[in-house]
Amino acid sequence: MKAIHLVLPALFFAVTSCTLDKTDFEEEIAVEIPENYSFEEVFSSQKETYKISVEALNGTFYKGYNEVRVKLTNVQTEEFLANSTITFFPVLTVADKQESCPHASILEYNSDEQYFEGYVVFTKDSNVGDWNIQLNFTIESGDFQVDKIVSVVQQPNKNLNMTSFTGNDEQYYIIALIAPQKPKVAENNLVAGIYKYVGDESAIINNEPNALASSFAVVNKYTLLLDPRMPEPSMGNHSSPNNRDLIQGEDGLYHGVVNYTMTGNWTLNFIMQNQNGKIVKGTEVSTDFTPGVEGEKSELYIDILF
Amino acid sequence: MKTFYYSLLMCFLSSPFYAQKTPMLSDTTQVNTLEEMLIIAKKKKIETEMKMAVSVDEYLASSDQISFIKRGAYAWEPLLNNMSSERSKITIDGMHIFGACTDKMDPITAYVESNNLAEIDIKSGQEGSMHGATVSGSINLKRKNTLFSDYGSEWKGTYQTGYEFNNKQFFNLGNLSFASDKFVADASVAYRKASNYTDGKDNEVKHSQYKKFNTSLGLAYKTSPLSALRFDAIFDVAKDVGYPALPMDLWLSRALITSVSYKKLFEEGLLRVWDTKLYFNTIEHYMDDTTRPENLVHMDMPGWSTTFGLTSKANLRKENLSSEIQVNAYQNIAIAEMRMYPQDRSERTMFAYSWPWVTTRYAGVSLGNSWDISPISQLNFGGSLGLNYNHSKYIDFNWIFYPGAPQEKTRFLPSIYTNYTLFANKFNVTIGGGYGQRAPSVSEAYGYYIYNSFDRYDYVGNPNLKNETSYELNASAGFKTENLNLSAKVNYFYIKDYIIGEILSLGSPMNYQSVGVKGYTALSYAEIVNFSLNGSYKITPNLQWKGNLTYVRGKDDKGGNLPFIRPLSYQTAFVYNYKKLSVQTSLNGDLEQVDYSPKYGEDNTPAYKIWNLSANYAFYIKNNKFIFQIGAENVLNEYYSTYADWGNIPRMGRNVFTSLKIDF
Ligand SMILES: [Cu+2]
Repeated sequence: MKAIHLVLPALFFAVTSCTLDKTDFEEEIAVEIPENYSFEEVFSSQKETYKISVEALNGTFYKGYNEVRVKLTNVQTEEFLANSTITFFPVLTVADKQESCPHASILEYNSDEQYFEGYVVFTKDSNVGDWNIQLNFTIESGDFQVDKIVSVVQQPNKNLNMTSFTGNDEQYYIIALIAPQKPKVAENNLVAGIYKYVGDESAIINNEPNALASSFAVVNKYTLLLDPRMPEPSMGNHSSPNNRDLIQGEDGLYHGVVNYTMTGNWTLNFIMQNQNGKIVKGTEVSTDFTPGVEGEKSELYIDILF
Repeated sequence: MKTFYYSLLMCFLSSPFYAQKTPMLSDTTQVNTLEEMLIIAKKKKIETEMKMAVSVDEYLASSDQISFIKRGAYAWEPLLNNMSSERSKITIDGMHIFGACTDKMDPITAYVESNNLAEIDIKSGQEGSMHGATVSGSINLKRKNTLFSDYGSEWKGTYQTGYEFNNKQFFNLGNLSFASDKFVADASVAYRKASNYTDGKDNEVKHSQYKKFNTSLGLAYKTSPLSALRFDAIFDVAKDVGYPALPMDLWLSRALITSVSYKKLFEEGLLRVWDTKLYFNTIEHYMDDTTRPENLVHMDMPGWSTTFGLTSKANLRKENLSSEIQVNAYQNIAIAEMRMYPQDRSERTMFAYSWPWVTTRYAGVSLGNSWDISPISQLNFGGSLGLNYNHSKYIDFNWIFYPGAPQEKTRFLPSIYTNYTLFANKFNVTIGGGYGQRAPSVSEAYGYYIYNSFDRYDYVGNPNLKNETSYELNASAGFKTENLNLSAKVNYFYIKDYIIGEILSLGSPMNYQSVGVKGYTALSYAEIVNFSLNGSYKITPNLQWKGNLTYVRGKDDKGGNLPFIRPLSYQTAFVYNYKKLSVQTSLNGDLEQVDYSPKYGEDNTPAYKIWNLSANYAFYIKNNKFIFQIGAENVLNEYYSTYADWGNIPRMGRNVFTSLKIDF
């Protein structure tokens, strides 16, 4: 009997340990998504006793949509300054040509978090040319300007991809994905920004900053019809149920719902309609289940991966 | 460790010699009846009339209440009263165990062997609610237990080996038991290895091979003259098991089933027996499709199921009323993963849960009473009340099809039944009825893209399903004389909110063989009638006839046919005994399946008949009993598949089998 008391627990542990490990699901969805997603400083600059600090996710500007937070501090008192106006202006210089990109010109103060917030959608990375950020702020002691060349890198997270295209109306558009940064096998709120080039060519040639600054505008009252599919041939054009098309919310961004049924490569097929329901870009894709054949894509799409 | 292995080794080595020294005690020598109850020992054996070395499945198939869905040669899914296994409660010695395969490759019956079972207890309908909520009834697999011996230490053993020619199945089954007045040990080992079988056209059915190893150990210690403590364990490994009807095979499955129980008897008073058991079991199941190069997608589909629980029962007796009260509580966690590999293996794999970590907790009280109203009449009545709780850890998966479905769900599962039996001379008549509810299974409520190769749909569970409610009526009549035994049974089930898969207009298939997505929904009702006739007759003292006939009809709420309903089936058998020789022959078959259900993937199945023949001879060598058997199944080499053969895979053709059994 005594021996059995020893043997049974040993036997128990020997056979209860699994042959294959269960998948750690949290880790599984983190495979393709770069880890830290916190706001860190990209650059800062001090003017007199005022320090202006620009923050973005991971302290890096990526091609595509970037949320921008700016903190203005009085170095002596270590106080955050709220009563100011900050303007934000990105300019890309390629050879001797300059262009801008969709962005928030005036940063708004978030009193809860004590920073100014805005966004910028970098249309190209720094391999193409130099991006310069111009910040202007006004406080009691006067007007200040900060100029800084920043580095814009490729976005490694495909869930924050962007696409630019010329629509059937001959206008130039940009669609940038904003959320989810880290999709789940679930219902995900899909958020995108849609922007349109409205700038005047002459304004660029004359190097008129203000005209350049307003060369992109948020597109209003459009609809982005959504059809997510897995392009992998073995998935046979697999899609998911209960998705919702993207419509504009009060924040000016476009909100919809995408369901991802499993991890892997997905294509978000879009059809963009203007306020009158006219198709600006995009084609319908086949809904047929076609095992072994790579899924066909709309002429307007963004690939994601998680 | 060493001492244990040494003693185990000694068990195997020394037993035959030991057995010769101690006089063989017959099983029937008088034993204190109370003590006999301590460990209920059944003299029945798991063998059929035709075959003495049967698998558990073959044994179950000899019951007219059981039919099977077969996905290959291994691990058939038992259907009780023509209802799928979600509707029945299958337990091992009252322990709840849940398979770890989303494709139902592993019914619980796959985790035992015929040589560690003593008896299979089948209860129809709500009478089976003793072990928990059910609709179709319960199947309890009872293990072998050796009695304590009052006459000194005693070793006993059985060894059985055999070969089946059709699929080159070679099996070895060994049992050994030791009994003394204080201590009892039972051990069994079984190993089966089979290759592909051939059908009635002598074509090999690919992917029908299997290997199975099963071992069990039971140790009992008498803590007082009227109480005993018992430990039991079963360890089962199946490897390289083919499922010809499925797109995947089984690479490995392992099950560990353990329990500790304490039983106490009382010589007088209301309470007679109190039996409590704590149990733990865990199953791992790894499917494999690398054996199927024709598959477009390589997938890994591992599954795990772990259960622990408690069952405690008390037997009470007062005058003409005997009662059993049973408490059941368990927790199960079911996990199944699927990982698909892209054609370009350097790309990201695709992952999802087919069971998103689903926890099931159940607690219930059951009561069964038997009241001898008069010498000629008896009333049985009882019921149960259960609380069933489910939790889906990754409910996000379920929300894709059912947005906002609750992550947790608690259900009350009531059950009640009664039946009345009247004995009049050689006749007996029973009528009864029942009402009960069951909770949806893990797959039905939380399953996610589970591919069903029968109708070729991906199935998605619905967490919002209602309980399935069964109303049941049953009746039977029997006539018994010394030589003749006739009985007829009928039962009728009206099942409200009958759970079944229906095509969803949402989503698209995930598995490449699939043609669409089905979601589990509830039909407003379904009806099933089972009818059976049984007879046996002793023609001469040496010649006996047995026969049965079953007829079933199942309809949905629109009058359409339900799937997996057996067509009219029959079996007739003769057994002839002459001294140490006995010869058996049987004929069984189904008529044409006329009432099939195309909606659920069925097609017409033609009639078939199978003729079997076997003979055995018993002899003694030095006090050891030997039985040799030789026989053939499907003697006429009929090419057939039954109504419930997944994907219409053909069944085994002519199979000659031999086996030798030695009792020592
Ligand atoms: Cu399986």
